[in-house]
Amino acid sequence: MTITVYWFLLTSIVMFCIGLYGLLTRRSLIRMLLSAEVIFNAALLALLSVASISKAFGPSGGALALLAISLAAAEVGVIVSVAILMFRVRESLDVYKLRELRG
Amino acid sequence: MNLQIDPYLIVFFLASGGALISALLVVEHKSIVYASFFLALLGTSNAALFVLLGYPIVSLFHLVVYVGAAVTFILFSVVMLREAPLVEPVARGIALIAALEVLFLFSVGFLPLLKSQSAGGVISLMDISDVLLNKYSFALIVSALALATTMIEAITLARKEVSES
Repeated sequence: MTITVYWFLLTSIVMFCIGLYGLLTRRSLIRMLLSAEVIFNAALLALLSVASISKAFGPSGGALALLAISLAAAEVGVIVSVAILMFRVRESLDVYKLRELRG
Repeated sequence: MNLQIDPYLIVFFLASGGALISALLVVEHKSIVYASFFLALLGTSNAALFVLLGYPIVSLFHLVVYVGAAVTFILFSVVMLREAPLVEPVARGIALIAALEVLFLFSVGFLPLLKSQSAGGVISLMDISDVLLNKYSFALIVSALALATTMIEAITLARKEVSES
């Protein structure tokens, strides 16, 4: 049995579905962030799986993956600081209560 | 009888199985602290899959920047937060249908790649940095600016004084 790119893609699709399920069913900001991170990991795996098929696109896929990882790290910093601020203001992480912060 | 087992196959099944179980535990575990810990495990398993695809540099970067910094940051931050489990019971059915639909559509959509093999070889740091500097230099500058902006934004939000209501 040989492992083709399809098996990597299948892993990423299942991971994406798990993240999507978590994102749609949770109301806690941190839970939603964690689910979004699962989706990010799935997307990254899909990107590198497809890029690895061709020698010509291999380095481009790697470069895009490096950019995506660094931006994801930045995004985590912002959302966690929003969550901490929200918790200090509302004592809750419920995203429904975040709507009340609208100006 | 030849019972040779391919080590690539074993690593793939261990890494992908670990990644999927970790992903499930990130979403379903009751404690957000443990959920963050499983996110770190998911990142590590994903890094192993990147090595199998021929991207050891991306794998190391993922381990250092994503698992080592971002997920550890979440892990230490959520310790400060108290969370009551908030689940949308109505959305569970819809979410399950949406997830299954995505699973079906993508697994069928990617079927043409069923026999596609990875090109093989290792993508070196030289290849990636060459592409990054020559082809994606503008994206590199934009992402550097975005990182600086988000850093300032995060510091401003974290230091914001909460007025007594």
